[in-house]
Amino acid sequence: MLALTVANLKMMARNRHTTLWSLIFPLMLVVVFGLFSNFGGNNPSLAVIDQASTPQSQALVKQLSSISFLSSEPDQQIDDVQSRIESGTLDYLLVIPESFGARGQTPPTLTYSSNNPERNQLVVGAISNVIVSSKIAESQVDYGSLIPLVSTEITVQNVSFFDIALLGLVSLGIMTSSIISVAVKISTYRGQSILKRMLVTPLAIWKYFAAEIAAHLLLALVQAAIILAVGVFIFGAQIHGNLAWIFIIVLLGSLVFLNLGFILSAWANTPSAASGMGNVIAMPMLFFAGAFFSTTSLPWILPYVAQALPLTPMLTALREVAIYDAPLWQVWPQLAALGGWIAGTAVVAIKVFRFS
Amino acid sequence: MDRAIRVEGLTKRFGAFIAVNDVSFSVKSGEIFGILGPNGAGKTTTLEIIEGLQKPTQGQVNVLGMDITRDSAQVKARVGVQLQSSAYYDYLNLREILALIGSFYPKRISPDLLLEQVGLQDKATHRVRQLSGGQQQRFTVAASLVNDPELVILDEPTTGLDPQARRNIWGLIREINQRNVTVVLTTHYMEEAESLCHRLAIMDQGKVVATDTPQNLISNLQSTYTVTIMSRDTLTEDQLLSLNGAVSSVQIQENNTYIIRLSDVPRALDSVLEGIVHNDIRLEHLEVAPVTLEDVFLELTGYELRD
Repeated sequence: MLALTVANLKMMARNRHTTLWSLIFPLMLVVVFGLFSNFGGNNPSLAVIDQASTPQSQALVKQLSSISFLSSEPDQQIDDVQSRIESGTLDYLLVIPESFGARGQTPPTLTYSSNNPERNQLVVGAISNVIVSSKIAESQVDYGSLIPLVSTEITVQNVSFFDIALLGLVSLGIMTSSIISVAVKISTYRGQSILKRMLVTPLAIWKYFAAEIAAHLLLALVQAAIILAVGVFIFGAQIHGNLAWIFIIVLLGSLVFLNLGFILSAWANTPSAASGMGNVIAMPMLFFAGAFFSTTSLPWILPYVAQALPLTPMLTALREVAIYDAPLWQVWPQLAALGGWIAGTAVVAIKVFRFS
Repeated sequence: MDRAIRVEGLTKRFGAFIAVNDVSFSVKSGEIFGILGPNGAGKTTTLEIIEGLQKPTQGQVNVLGMDITRDSAQVKARVGVQLQSSAYYDYLNLREILALIGSFYPKRISPDLLLEQVGLQDKATHRVRQLSGGQQQRFTVAASLVNDPELVILDEPTTGLDPQARRNIWGLIREINQRNVTVVLTTHYMEEAESLCHRLAIMDQGKVVATDTPQNLISNLQSTYTVTIMSRDTLTEDQLLSLNGAVSSVQIQENNTYIIRLSDVPRALDSVLEGIVHNDIRLEHLEVAPVTLEDVFLELTGYELRD
């Protein structure tokens, strides 16, 4: 069995075309998503809450809105705004206190997340400058005691769209390569009587499948590692969770999709039919399971369908673990759902599989 | 052990279609046994049941003294199989494929020795698709020998090969047989069955219609010669049958060509030639040949087996 696994890996390595292309598609998407989220983004946003409402403070607000690289937002409720910083939809919050402008003043406070230190430095400097210059203009300078700004850095999980999309792309890579490569491979082998050739040897059938699955699982791990590495090291995605757990979820998901591949191979008469069927299953699943877009607003029964797909628990578990650093046992409902899918698809695969 | 394979009352149905219909035969240890028949006669199905690839609907099959359903793994360990038109992994070289298949068996022969036996030692690092048709076929024979089997089953080992490559495979099969390995093969080539096989089973439409040595099958025909004549005039079957008592059968072909088969009676050939002269048959062409397996097949099934 070990010999067969090694031989399988050897064949995958030699069949570079198929193996590479199954990687290139998700990687290409990583590049596209990465470029858009890193360079297509807007200016950082600033909300100002003016509690003083004095002529001085109003002048300051006006001056702040002229900082070209910040997009100012109109007045807001303070609670509301604070939670928006935590969720990442607002970048900076400046609160001008009531006592602003009086002698013995309290300086304004600027609240922001700790995620983007370079940008923070720049923005803090720019806002401080505006405040200082506005005070000089009004000759209220008390150089010794002037504290233009109090910064409050809050640590929040920096969850960018790209981080979420990257996990979707990992799932995409695993799903398409598992389903399609197994379906194509098995239908090819059947066409060439290679499966029959195995059957006339005393090799136990389960060993044959175990070796196929072992080799594909290893491939899935390598794929996931490469996609994550490109996302993290080239495009600055953040992974907060335990990598080992991420890989365990990848393996479980891959098992479901390998089983689906075995099932498809039984229905497909030719390798190209197998490949087409694989795409028909994989592509809609990718979008319906919410790899890139939320599915809750879908009409009719579609949100429930989305919940029932095997990719959904895989994605949910991956996000909980990778982004919110949840321990593996916290995603047990998703793991149980994956387990159910593994068992269910295995039963069907064993039932429908044919050797010739 | 004296019987390598014993098949008794074997029947295989696929729905309403009967692929193999109450077939019985046995293969002696150490012989080259051929199953001869046209495509669709049930040869491959019979072999696949013996190989354990298909379950019989009815009947008993014993291989090397073991029941194929009960001792399936042991049978498989001691039998070598070459499947009809079986390909091998595209991305492994010859040596690696043989090593991989060998790893499934408790007893195995080294890949290099196998390649040497089939004359492919200098192709060890080639892929299967880089080989010629004859070389590929030799390779599949090598693959059937990985487990040092007591019995090899070859399904149409020479189909699609040119005559020279075919003879090459025959030589290889004889060599294997000389090492005391029993060989069972299927073929639809008369010449192959006649010159290679010690004994033959002739199959047609799911049935075994005769089993014997090629020589006995031919002499049991009770014909001695076939006389093929091409005449200037059209002749009737009755005309030809009445040439004289030695004519056992007549077959009419195109272009006024007639095949006359002669019974095994004294001076049969002389008397038919005399009859032709007496009846004023104007000959364009005359050919006399001893009967062959082809005639046996025609006699048994009523039609000719063509390549």
